[in-house]
Amino acid sequence: MTKTPVKKKQDKPTFEQAVAELKQIVDKIEDGQIPLEESLGQYEKGMALIQHCRTILQQAEKRIEKISANQDSEE
Amino acid sequence: MATMDRIYTVGQVNGLVQAALSQSLPARMTVRGEVRDFRCHHSGHCYFLLKDTSGVLPCVMWSSRFRSVKFMPENGMSVLATGYVDVYAQGGKYQFYIDRLDPEGTGALQKAFEQMVAKLKAEGLFGEEHKQSLPSFPQCIAVLTSESGAAWHDIADSIHGRWPAVTLVLCPVPVQGEGAAARMAESIARINARRADLPVDLMIVGRGGGSMDDLWAFNEEVLARAIFASRIPVISAVGHEVDITVADLVADARASTPTQAGVVAVPDEAEVSEDLAHMARRLSVSLRARLDLCHSQFANLETADVLRRPDRMIHDRHQWLDDWGETMRGTVRDRVRAAQDGLVVYQAQIGHLEPYRLLGRHRVAVGTLAGCLESAITARVAQRKLLLEAPAHRLAALNPKSVLGRGFTITRNGRTGTLVRHREAVQLGDLLVTELAGENIIESKVTKQ
Repeated sequence: MTKTPVKKKQDKPTFEQAVAELKQIVDKIEDGQIPLEESLGQYEKGMALIQHCRTILQQAEKRIEKISANQDSEE
Repeated sequence: MATMDRIYTVGQVNGLVQAALSQSLPARMTVRGEVRDFRCHHSGHCYFLLKDTSGVLPCVMWSSRFRSVKFMPENGMSVLATGYVDVYAQGGKYQFYIDRLDPEGTGALQKAFEQMVAKLKAEGLFGEEHKQSLPSFPQCIAVLTSESGAAWHDIADSIHGRWPAVTLVLCPVPVQGEGAAARMAESIARINARRADLPVDLMIVGRGGGSMDDLWAFNEEVLARAIFASRIPVISAVGHEVDITVADLVADARASTPTQAGVVAVPDEAEVSEDLAHMARRLSVSLRARLDLCHSQFANLETADVLRRPDRMIHDRHQWLDDWGETMRGTVRDRVRAAQDGLVVYQAQIGHLEPYRLLGRHRVAVGTLAGCLESAITARVAQRKLLLEAPAHRLAALNPKSVLGRGFTITRNGRTGTLVRHREAVQLGDLLVTELAGENIIESKVTKQ
């Protein structure tokens, strides 16, 4: 119950990182300032990030943990 | 004089006074007065005077009693003090031993709250520049509240109802009573210290509503300083909308109630999903537009002359070269012609000037001037000659020997050598020497006078 959470999926971006990168990608493609091939690559990456964010939300499990006061004070 | 016979000790007198006081005064009294000369000794005991227009009353408040006083007495403050009067034998005086002190007018807690707000505000603890921004999508939120209280469930439900992708860590703490503020402060510091193994990125400190006394822990300095020192952003969520505590003022964000904490702490999943869908549409639309643009550009290129008739480009260049060469030749020709025309005009202008005539005119002028000069000089010389001749003639006439030529003679006395100008200059027998022209001399003798 007091096991420390997160630390999972170090390779995957956090929701915040994913959204930030997604905004950059949308801006870049909309600006039309990058070559077409890169646009295609960025599009795929953006769609993957959106899917990643949706997965985070769908799989979210409303985790609740508790730090016991006694264990804390022992530290 | 019987009373004079008995000798009392100091202690006896003070004892009598003490007895008299305890018999005749109420065991507990509440006194209204103005605080004067307030001193809080480092031992924690407080000494001051209560004063009104009629006089002063020395007061003592032991630290054990003073600790429960929430506000800090200030000189001039009007207070209600409750306690008893007793003798302080060592000081030889009676004083008022206070066990309860309240400010008059506003309540003690209100006064204490105002004082704490003023103090921490002066230190800058509420400054906007110290407010940390909250994470947009927190992943792990620590909730510091009572495990048994409704606030915990309100907070957890409101957060997970909006945003399920977050781990809530309940950190049970007492939220009222003696020592509650210190416990909360410790927990805040400990969670900050455990960031390495407990990746909390947001904290909520709160409790449900209650009386001002119930909420008092959230007004204490120790909690305010812990919230201020926290590197993890802190949201305060205390009581009802109307309750404002010191913790609310120092926290990075305030939720007016525990339920409202969810709105402050996390985004709404529905909104974020809608945003994601919107971004997906933008991505597709902009990529489609980009591809369409590329297609149309490619179509334009395909039909371009350059690609359809590449030799045309070379021919065009040839023609251009020819045109250009022609233009250049014409330009050079025009310029040479213009220069020639200019020369003719200059030549005509020079011809009009007739230099030989000019020269002849000048030569005549020079001849005339030379003649004038010569005659002027000749005249001047003749004039000067004339001027010279007259004095020369006059000079020549003055030479005595020049008259000899005209037959005159010069006669000297041969004896004396003087000129003979009259008869008396000679004597009989004197030799006369007569000089004639041409250096000829005749000597003769005076024979008669």
